[in-house]
Amino acid sequence: MRRDYWMYGLAVVAVIGIWVLFIGLPRWYPPEGTSTAAALPPAAAPIVDNLVPATLFYISEDGMRLVGVERRLERQPDPAAQARIILEAQLAEPPATLLSPIPSGTALRAFYLSGQDAFVDLSAEVALGHSGGSLEELFTVYAIVNAVTTNVPAVNAVQILVNGQEVDTLVGHVDLQHPLARNLQWVAEPDTPASPGPVDQSDPL
Amino acid sequence: MTGRLLVACCLVWLTTSAGRGQTPDDPLTLVTRQDRRPLPTMRVDGRRMVAVSQLAGPFQLTIADVAQPGRLTLMRDDRVIVLTANEGLVSVAGQLVALPSPPLERDGEWYVPVDFIGSALALMHDEPVELRARSGLVLLGAVRVPQVVVRYERSGARSRLRLLITPATEHVIEQDDSRLLVTLDADALDLTLRDVRPDSLVSDIRGVDGAPALAVDLREAYGSFAATTQAALGGAVEVIIDLQPRPAPVTRAEPRQLPREAVERRGADRPAGLEGPTAGPTVAVPGEAAGDASLPLLSELAPRREIRAIAIDAGHGGDDLGTKGPNGAFEKDVTLAVARRLANRIESELGLRVVLTRTGDHTLSLDERAAIANNDRADLFISLHANASSRETATGAQVFYLSLAEYGDQARDAGFTGQLVPTVGGGSRVLDVVPWEMAQLRHVDESARWAKTVADELSLRVPMSQRGLQQAPFRVLVGANMPAVVLEMGFMSNPDQEAQLTSTTFQSAVVGGLLQSIVRYRDEVVDATGPVPLLDATSPESTGRTP
Repeated sequence: MRRDYWMYGLAVVAVIGIWVLFIGLPRWYPPEGTSTAAALPPAAAPIVDNLVPATLFYISEDGMRLVGVERRLERQPDPAAQARIILEAQLAEPPATLLSPIPSGTALRAFYLSGQDAFVDLSAEVALGHSGGSLEELFTVYAIVNAVTTNVPAVNAVQILVNGQEVDTLVGHVDLQHPLARNLQWVAEPDTPASPGPVDQSDPL
Repeated sequence: MTGRLLVACCLVWLTTSAGRGQTPDDPLTLVTRQDRRPLPTMRVDGRRMVAVSQLAGPFQLTIADVAQPGRLTLMRDDRVIVLTANEGLVSVAGQLVALPSPPLERDGEWYVPVDFIGSALALMHDEPVELRARSGLVLLGAVRVPQVVVRYERSGARSRLRLLITPATEHVIEQDDSRLLVTLDADALDLTLRDVRPDSLVSDIRGVDGAPALAVDLREAYGSFAATTQAALGGAVEVIIDLQPRPAPVTRAEPRQLPREAVERRGADRPAGLEGPTAGPTVAVPGEAAGDASLPLLSELAPRREIRAIAIDAGHGGDDLGTKGPNGAFEKDVTLAVARRLANRIESELGLRVVLTRTGDHTLSLDERAAIANNDRADLFISLHANASSRETATGAQVFYLSLAEYGDQARDAGFTGQLVPTVGGGSRVLDVVPWEMAQLRHVDESARWAKTVADELSLRVPMSQRGLQQAPFRVLVGANMPAVVLEMGFMSNPDQEAQLTSTTFQSAVVGGLLQSIVRYRDEVVDATGPVPLLDATSPESTGRTP
């Protein structure tokens, strides 16, 4: 009889422990970055049909900001492969009504991950086809940096290379000699007038 | 009908003849050890010319009696000048000298451009011959004529007279009842008066005829002065004279007695070169000081951080075209045009030195631009640009200063300890060695302050973007070892703004805003203590977000 009591007690303790470990603690201590991610789709959103949501960045209607647009991309097994998929989507033609901050024809040559720093190697079109303005250069750089750092939590900063080489800038303004961290200074809130308006979410990648 | 035709013909004749006419112009002043005398000049076909006959006497020239049509020969000892009418090259003692315009022969008189004095006549003389076209002086022989730039500033109750004397020259300041007289140990003054307006203390500031002196005419409200002298760049010296109003009469209150120790301490604290308010002639020699407890405190007269040189970077250039407008204007041309306008106005109106990173259509790297500003010891740096967007509607000017986030939070507070380096000839000295990437980080607080001043002044004159003041990791700012900003004057991609950016009116408005921002920064901000708060990275002004 005493042995049964011990068994019941251990079972109750085990249930409580499991609840605390898997339900209680995550509620009491939400993951870091929850507040900053509030304006953007959560990076760790539930997986549906092997697709994950990702935020890509395009030029607002007034041309003065970036706007974040949610897309659904194929889930990949590791951060580097996931980042490549995200970058390919960012470099692709934008949805209707939006403008891409990245010059047409720019291709992803390579992607490397070193610790928490990523290196994005782009083709020369990213500079050759650029309008040349400093604001648009900021948009180009931070569309790429933010697309990776916002959607791939394993990446903290991104350095852009052109044709496999380190460059000072793309077109004479933004310092690319360092990996750049996520910067939402250039991104409009979703509900501000700079928002892109309706976007066809079913647009295939 | 015939009458109308006659009137039209008369107008055409008057117009063309006016362009070809010759009218008297302001005379030059010839300065020698013996005297000063006027040298008449003429405006001939729009150019400032001087008659050869007027030059012959003072420069001891003999006009050769050789009758050759269209040619004139001048001689001094064994040296010869040959002038050919309507030809811009003249032969001077066997050398060819190019003139800005060719000599002219009119009614038997020969005229040469005034530059002929400095370029051709200087080769005919063993003693120095110098033309100072801006001030209209011709210096012949070993004469001492320092340049004196005078500025008069009024801030609140304080009136301050600044004399920048180049080269440094001994001077005496005297005061009588109605004027202050600054006399230099020189043969004449090359005087430039800037921002000189009468006020409650001063009725006029002027040069003294026939003497190397500056006179400050005083009003009744004037009470006393205090002067300091400090070395300036380029072998110059700056004399600062603070003018104080006459104190209001004390009616009932007893004069407060300062403790004896306090009076002695104030006397000891007074800076070198301070002169008494009613003293007789005094020479501003370091270490000389007169005792007067009513003089300003040391903190008021301590040398402040000065703005002496402005670096102007015309963005892009050479192979780097920058942006291109829909109607074909290039950013590199717009930035160079604005840079030149700004340089001219800073030099002529503020009397500050200007460092242009490029004066023509040259290719320069971004780090080279900052290096030029650093090497020439500029105190402020501005890089001029024009923006572009894929959206044609994007419009407005933006001012940027460096953001810190990309370079790590610790970088901002990094201490730069001196390193012991060997010197030529043996020995060693301690130098501050600052990594290139860290140069601007030390100044980013002041850059923020100046950027806000620029944005404020521009917003009064040209259209600004909704996000007119921003931080960004711009490479050209990284290595600048002084407060530095990037100005995007407008969007070349917007056809309306392209037309504005290439117009004289718009460029002048931008230059006016920048000029005023320099004045404000110099007068208000440099005097202030304490750093300006940086933009909060989460503030609406910084992020453009609504709270």
